[in-house]
Amino acid sequence: MNDQQQMIQETVSRILRDHCSKEVVDAAEAGNWAAGLWQNLEDNGLTLAGIPEANGGIGGDYADSLLVLREAAGFAAPLPLAETLIAAHLLALAGEQVPMGPLTLATGDFSLKQEGQGFRLTGYASEVAFLPWAQVLLVPVAGGQPALCRLNPTDITATTRHNMAGEPRSDITVDTVLAAEAVSAMPVDPLTLCMNMGAAARAVQMTGALTSVLNLSVQYAMERTQFGKAISGFQAIQHQLATLACEVAACQRAADALMTSPEALSALDLAVAKARIGEAVSLVTDIAHQVHGAMGYTMEHSLNLRTRRLWCWRDEYQREAHWEAEIGKLVVAGGADNLWNLITTAS
Amino acid sequence: MFQGLQFEPVSLPDHAEALRSEVREFIERELPPDYLRNSDFNTGVSAEFSQKLGAKGWIGMTWPKEYGGHGRSFLERYVVTEELLAAGAPVFAHWIADRQSGAQLLKFGTEQQRQTYLPRIARGECYFSIGMSEPDSGSDLASIRTSATRVEGGWLVNGSKIWSSGAHQNHFMITLVRTEPPSANRHAGMSQFMIDLKSPNITIQGIKNLSGESDFNQVFFDDVFVPDEMVIGEPGNGWEQVVSELGYERSGPERFLSAFRVMVEFVREVGDNPTEAQVALIGRLTAHLITLRRMSVSVAAMLESGKTPVTEAALIKELGNSYERMVPELIRQLVPGRTSLRFRQTLEECILHAPSFTLRGGTREILRGVIARGLGLR
Ligand SMILES: Cc1cc2nc3c(=O)[nH]c(=O)nc-3n(C[C@H](O)[C@H](O)[C@H](O)COP(=O)(O)OP(=O)(O)OC[C@H]3O[C@@H](n4cnc5c(N)ncnc54)[C@H](O)[C@@H]3O)c2cc1C
Repeated sequence: MNDQQQMIQETVSRILRDHCSKEVVDAAEAGNWAAGLWQNLEDNGLTLAGIPEANGGIGGDYADSLLVLREAAGFAAPLPLAETLIAAHLLALAGEQVPMGPLTLATGDFSLKQEGQGFRLTGYASEVAFLPWAQVLLVPVAGGQPALCRLNPTDITATTRHNMAGEPRSDITVDTVLAAEAVSAMPVDPLTLCMNMGAAARAVQMTGALTSVLNLSVQYAMERTQFGKAISGFQAIQHQLATLACEVAACQRAADALMTSPEALSALDLAVAKARIGEAVSLVTDIAHQVHGAMGYTMEHSLNLRTRRLWCWRDEYQREAHWEAEIGKLVVAGGADNLWNLITTAS
Repeated sequence: MFQGLQFEPVSLPDHAEALRSEVREFIERELPPDYLRNSDFNTGVSAEFSQKLGAKGWIGMTWPKEYGGHGRSFLERYVVTEELLAAGAPVFAHWIADRQSGAQLLKFGTEQQRQTYLPRIARGECYFSIGMSEPDSGSDLASIRTSATRVEGGWLVNGSKIWSSGAHQNHFMITLVRTEPPSANRHAGMSQFMIDLKSPNITIQGIKNLSGESDFNQVFFDDVFVPDEMVIGEPGNGWEQVVSELGYERSGPERFLSAFRVMVEFVREVGDNPTEAQVALIGRLTAHLITLRRMSVSVAAMLESGKTPVTEAALIKELGNSYERMVPELIRQLVPGRTSLRFRQTLEECILHAPSFTLRGGTREILRGVIARGLGLR
């Protein structure tokens, strides 16, 4: 980590400690936008780190923002930080200005046709994150001329529910005519880019939450006493936590390769991270909940703020099976005698 | 208090990558095409191959030149070891001497011991066994009973060591013995002796493992004389030394690559037309392996910067051993209908060796205990 990143990490942790209490997360689950927390992060330039200043960002590296995501996930911050970062990166690529406030995006099946002076956008997407709280909805369109569409979330018919983590997710159907200014041509396929950035962001967020789950579990085991001693004294508990620590350490190393720009990120490193980290969630959350006993199964204890998010994030932007298949295809295409070489070239 | 885990991201320097190509070319040149490659470090033994590696400067790589070493970094050594293992080369003859016995001599040995033995080890000519376990002392190493009594000019050793890998073909065994009777401090009163395995009054009996090979042994000592100049470090300091030795024993790529050749042969078998399940399994195993390897590179970098990564070494061994046990178990479920003899041999050898992965070098349970201590739980 460089000095800049050290500073970012410290600032983010401080803000989260002060403004992302369990009450704030609970209130968000009850439908209240965490305006104060967002404002604090935005005022400190932490929602648009790594987005060029010319486009309204604050400059620096994209990895700076991933660091923000990792820290925020450790506190279960109920904000579309990942979505805003991805949307901002796409807007900057399109040469557009990035507005302030939370943004989101819809990755789905969309098509775009010229109509009069503007364009008709039709299609649908499911599980659009944080739509009710977003200022702008971006829709990347892959087919034909790759494009990025900007929509006003209030103009869209959406069915919104809360996912397992209590975060808003919406299914949307769009059939609307957009003004020419709301559509930008893209130099790359924005949908694939978006899926990859999304997967990387979720993997980084999972790593932050997993690390926090390890810390909470170790702490709980040292505090909880049964049979006249701290449960951390029981070998069965020690071994469970050792296994948990192994998984978390592996996830941290898998995620390290993601700390770069979306353009520099290798397909293999991304697939490895999303597959490996997603797989770890099952074992880690199993052990963490077992160690926490019934208390961990309550809404009162804060373990669930992390574990419920982990259960959602592992599924978003493709599950492990998808990414494992991606890696497998690369290996099979290279053949048996190139397998080791492929492994050593993965950073 | 738990301070978090310490695996820093590291990438290998360019000169290490250049070395990698050199090692690959060497292996392809030296291994006969029909050689059944096995990436379990405990299997292939070839003094000739070890000597050739020595001649290339790939044994004792990190030791100072004055002792026949090559003054290279732990990262370079890492590259050489992982290449040898991944290729399934016969490395066991010199492996222990290079990995830990030489390091012990360098750290605790006398000047005379270093000058005499390190250059021979580095040439790939002098091989060592580990003399820790005994019939009644496995995980509880401090309970050993092999003892040494003081005599004129040295010590007389009595007792027995067991599971001593390669003792029937190696030259020396660094042997943990009691030089004082047990006391309230269980870790006091032990010493490490470098015992010449050809000494009089030593009996070495092979023990067959599951695959029918006798690569480990029971070694009996009946009044074996060990001269003073073969004591390593201070008498009484044995426990501290043995703990240091285990750090080298646990952290390397041999702790997750034992089953690698099974993966390679599986990819060969499925060829161009794999099922979806086969592709996904190959992907999953590859994701694990890439991650483990990154962790291991981090540990090599810690060794390079002079740290003693005890918890990290235990962590990677535990994770790596579980992985290498999982590889043959998952692959066997998806084996294609027709397979080559080579594939079947590779898989079966691995299944027969697999139980040892989570025992040798410290059991799964002992490692979890070490990790738990690192977490502040004990
Ligand atoms: C292939 C192979 C090669 C080996 N080579 C060598 C060698 O060269 N030199 C050498 O000295 N040794 C060697 N060993 C021995 C190895 O170090 C021991 O097998 C190991 O330390 C475990 O000892 P043990 O087998 O006596 O099992 P035990 O210690 O008897 O353990 C039996 C079971 O009990 C568990 N157990 C023990 N204590 C505890 C505890 N406190 N808490 C929870 N569970 C516990 C163990 O984890 C294990 O599951 C080798 C072993 C193998 C398999």
